[in-house]
Amino acid sequence: MKVDIQSLETFNQLAREGAEQATTSMTQMTGIEADVEVTKLSLVDRQDVGEELGDREFVGVQFDYEGELAGETVLVFSRDCRTSLIEALVGGADSKAMARSGVKEIGNIMMSGFIDGWADYLGASIDHSPPSYIEGNGAAVLPDAPAGGDTNHVFVFKSRIEWVDESIEFYIYMLPEYEPLTTVMADHADTGDDAIPVDKLEVFNEMTRSGTEKAAENVTMMTGIETVAEVSQISFAPITDVPKQISNETYVGTVIEFTGVPSGYLMVLFDEVSAKNVAEAMMPVDMGDDELTDQHKSAIEELGNIMTSGFVDGWANVLQTSVDHTPPRLVHDMGQAIIDPLAAQVGRHQEHAFIIDSTMRTDDIEFEAEIHALPNEQELRQALDDLLVERAGKTDADPEQIFQE
Amino acid sequence: MPEVLIADDSEFMRNLLREILEEDHQIVGEVENGVEAVETYKEERPDLVMMDIVMPIRDGIEATDEIKSQDPDANVIMCTSVGQEEKMKEAVKAGADGYITKPFQKPSVMEAIEDVVPS
Repeated sequence: MKVDIQSLETFNQLAREGAEQATTSMTQMTGIEADVEVTKLSLVDRQDVGEELGDREFVGVQFDYEGELAGETVLVFSRDCRTSLIEALVGGADSKAMARSGVKEIGNIMMSGFIDGWADYLGASIDHSPPSYIEGNGAAVLPDAPAGGDTNHVFVFKSRIEWVDESIEFYIYMLPEYEPLTTVMADHADTGDDAIPVDKLEVFNEMTRSGTEKAAENVTMMTGIETVAEVSQISFAPITDVPKQISNETYVGTVIEFTGVPSGYLMVLFDEVSAKNVAEAMMPVDMGDDELTDQHKSAIEELGNIMTSGFVDGWANVLQTSVDHTPPRLVHDMGQAIIDPLAAQVGRHQEHAFIIDSTMRTDDIEFEAEIHALPNEQELRQALDDLLVERAGKTDADPEQIFQE
Repeated sequence: MPEVLIADDSEFMRNLLREILEEDHQIVGEVENGVEAVETYKEERPDLVMMDIVMPIRDGIEATDEIKSQDPDANVIMCTSVGQEEKMKEAVKAGADGYITKPFQKPSVMEAIEDVVPS
C-alpha cells in the first residue's frame, strides 16, 4: 500500500482547515481569539501517542466516528483553561455539571466542523457519536489508539491551538483506524514518483527508534547516567509549521548538516539544566559553576557528535550507504531561533517537510534531550524507495569483522 | 614510550584521549583537523596516530590516505563516533590499521593500540 506526498499534503491541509474551522467556532461562541499553531500528521508507535501532553491535567470531549474513515477524535485543553472558557461561554458556571455541559457543547460545535471537512473532501458521510466528556492527566486523557491489524503504528493528526496573548493551548487529536485510513490514502495516491509504501515509512520509524536507543546508550556510556529512549515519530507538516515543532525555551546543543541520501539537518538539544548536568557527568571534576563554561560546551559538542552518529549510522547501515555529516556546531538559543534558519534552508526546495523527532529521559538527574531531523523530502523518499525491509534490523556494523575481511 | 599524535576537532575528546594514553605513551601533538594531522605527522613521525573521521577542513579518512601514501608503515587507528559500515570500508581502503568507536573506555582503546603497536 502506498501513500503519495501530495495526498499527505492534502490530508494535512484538511486537518489544518478542520482545526481552523473548530477554532473559528470557538471564537464565535466565546469571543476568545485563538490561532491554530501547528497541524501535523505523525506516524507514531501506539505507546507514544500523546507523550507531548506531559503530565498536565486535561479536560475535553471525545467522539467516535465511522464511515469512510473510522476511529476517535478528541479535543482537550488544560483544566485551568476550562474555567475561563466556560465563563466566556455562559458567564460563569455554578456547578460542576454546568462546567461539564459547557465543555461538551464547545467541543461538540468545534469538532463537528472538524469532521465535516473530512467528509466533504472524501465525498462521503462520516457519522459521529454524541460527545463524551473526558478528563485525565497527560496521555491518559486520550482514548487508546485504534487497533491496526499487525502494525504497532498509528497515524495521528494533531493540531495545537493557542489562545492569543495567553499561554493556553488546546489540542485536537484525530486517531483514525489504520486500515480505513491507509485505504483512503492509497485511493488518493497517484502512481507517480512520489508515492511511498506505508510499510517502509513504518520501518523508517523503527529505525529512528533504534537510532534513539543507540544515542541513549551512548549517553549512558559517556556519563554513567541510565538514559532511555522515550518517543520517536515521523511527522509531516508544512514548512511554515516546522519551527513551531520545538518549544521556545532556551536550548543548548548541536546542529549538524548531513549529506548523502537523505541529506538534511539534525539537532541534538538539551534544556540548559540538562546540558549542565550531562556535561558535568562527563567530566572527572565538579565544575562548581552556575554558568555554562567552555568546558561544559566542549563536552556538549562532543556528546552531540556521538549522539548524532548513534542516530544516523543506523540509517546508513540499513540503506547500505554512507551518510556524512559536518562537525557539530554548538548552539545556545531559543528553540525556534535554532530551527528557523534550518527550516528556511530546507524550504528552498519543498513546501512540506518530514520531521523526525525523538526524546530521551532519565530518572537519575534532571535530564531530557531531544533529537530532531529535517531530511530533504525528495531524498528521504528515494531512501525509502531503496530501503529493503528485510534489512531493517541491520543497524549496527562491526569494525573488527570489516577489518578482518 | 610509543609516540602518539591525536587528531580530533573536539577539545573534550583530545583531553580524554590524552588522559587515557599519557601514562604509557608520549603525546607528540594534538591537532584539530586532517591538514594539521598530515603536517604534524611529517614533522614528528609518531609511532601511532589516533585519527577522528569527522573533522573540519579535511576529514580523517583523507588524512589517513595521505599519511599512508607517504609512509606505508604509519600506524593509524580511526577513533570516531561514526559507526557506518561504508565508512569502515573507506577507512580500510585508506589504509587504517584499526577502528574504535566513541564512546569508548580505556580498555578498548588500549586493546586496539596493542593490536596495532604491540608493546
